[in-house]
Amino acid sequence: MTEKTLKKVSYAALTAPSILIYAFIIIFPILFSLSLSFTEWTGFGTPKFVGLEQYVRMFTDSVFLHGLRNNLLVVGISVFGQIPLGFVLAYIIYRQLVKATGFFETMIFLPITIAAVVVAILWAQIFSPAGLYTALMRRIYDDPRYVLKIFENKTWAMLPVLFVILWMYTGMYMIIFIANMQKISPSVIEASIIDGASEGQILGRVILPSMVNIIFTTAVLAISGSLKSFDLIYAMTSGGPAHYTEVIAIYMYVNTFKYYNYGFGSAVSIVIVILSLGLILLVRSVFRRFEEKYE
Amino acid sequence: MSNYHELKQKNLVWKLIAYVVMIIFTVLTIGPLIWLLYSSFKPHIDIIHNIFAFPASFYTDNFVQAWKLGRLGIYMLNSIFYSVAATSITTFLALAAGYAFAKFKYRISGFFYFFFIMGLLITVHSVLVPLFVMETKLGIDDTRLGVLLPYVAFGLPMLIYLATAYIKGIPDSLEEAAVIDGAGYLTIFRTVIVPMAAPVTATMIIFSFLGNWNEFVFVLTLTSKTSLRSLPVGVNAFAAGQTMNYGVQFAALVIATAPMIIFYLLFHKQLAKGFAAGALKE
Repeated sequence: MTEKTLKKVSYAALTAPSILIYAFIIIFPILFSLSLSFTEWTGFGTPKFVGLEQYVRMFTDSVFLHGLRNNLLVVGISVFGQIPLGFVLAYIIYRQLVKATGFFETMIFLPITIAAVVVAILWAQIFSPAGLYTALMRRIYDDPRYVLKIFENKTWAMLPVLFVILWMYTGMYMIIFIANMQKISPSVIEASIIDGASEGQILGRVILPSMVNIIFTTAVLAISGSLKSFDLIYAMTSGGPAHYTEVIAIYMYVNTFKYYNYGFGSAVSIVIVILSLGLILLVRSVFRRFEEKYE
Repeated sequence: MSNYHELKQKNLVWKLIAYVVMIIFTVLTIGPLIWLLYSSFKPHIDIIHNIFAFPASFYTDNFVQAWKLGRLGIYMLNSIFYSVAATSITTFLALAAGYAFAKFKYRISGFFYFFFIMGLLITVHSVLVPLFVMETKLGIDDTRLGVLLPYVAFGLPMLIYLATAYIKGIPDSLEEAAVIDGAGYLTIFRTVIVPMAAPVTATMIIFSFLGNWNEFVFVLTLTSKTSLRSLPVGVNAFAAGQTMNYGVQFAALVIATAPMIIFYLLFHKQLAKGFAAGALKE
């Protein structure tokens, strides 16, 4: 074997297993899913081609539209809640405005390590009529019959779920920001302190501008993460009561694995992919403008 | 000097706000977890009677019952198996591919690399339906292999990204020296790259292990036998139903969480690194 073929064979040996598994488990199924989404199929017999019918059915179903709205709320709390909060916490730790930064950092990041399912069952208990939150409110309001009625309200039922999402994932953004702030040269900050800059000025003029790129990246993470949110809501409310807290991933799961509408389920999953790519492109164009302004 | 004084005072206000924010956040974060831990040592009746109180005695019956009734032993073993197997396979494959992408100057590497990086944006749910259909057709649904394959496939993008970025930073001179000594590429991978990439390998293993341990949806959809289910799926099926016995429910949650919390307290530095590195692209 010549040196050149040897190199090629080695390259194939090193990469082929990864590429094959990846193509077989991810790429091929996505293409399969795309073609299934134009059919009606219950898992038996041959899929029947129905064109765009599944998509039309989806966008005229009020349950789906409410799920879509809930998904956008999750995206909203992630982008406008977790990221700013995570940033503030990271800034406090990075600038060492408090003592015992290591302790705070470790504790706030802790929920990330717990399975979403466990977090969900814990918080479902806390918000239940026999739960911790209810008991706390009964003491505060001095009303032994207080119960949390928010889940019965179609508009606000998502609020506790959004709170738990914030509770669970803010630490992750904090860690990402800390790691990137630590890359800023300390001399830049020292110089601005000598120039008499206040804490607010350090934040606004030194740290924020150098974080624009990272904020963009975290926004992408938040969006793709939000559209994936399934485990937590599935275990906490299963989308109930009456689909009030349903997100489209749960909608897809129920239609596919409970009602065996494989064609319809595929169409929903394709919409999830398109939505996530679309939102990311949108965020990208917003940040492009932002960057131009800064430069 | 008075100007300096004013500035000091202003910074004091900032510090005060910082403390308030930090303390509120920390209490909100670990408060419920501490409450869960001590309540798991209370019998159901005591939890209902006074939900805030510390346990009157060290009541461990909840744990015995949760372990037995919930069959948590089986789930725990399955979780260990899936996590260890998937983590080792994914890390090894990612190091190999990372070496190839970083050091073999082939054009096609850019294409493959992009291929994998796009995977970071793909949601698990978009492949769930066809994957389930495929596995049923191949007869690997309801098997350990059927669970491991998607674990590995979805773990690859992130780990390949981490491995490639790190191996690119290893100086070429090291492997060139090995080439002159007549070593083949696979030998170089084994004797030069793998040892040199030890720091990133640690991050990869820890990051991947955490993800695999907490994975939920694949086991939920691709298995139906209890004997194949992992801790998150098993605990969800068992604990969610235990609203008539909160003591047992809490004990089950504690059992499911404890291994990861210990793991985290031991390795939180590397874990944080993994999460941080994940956002450093571009």
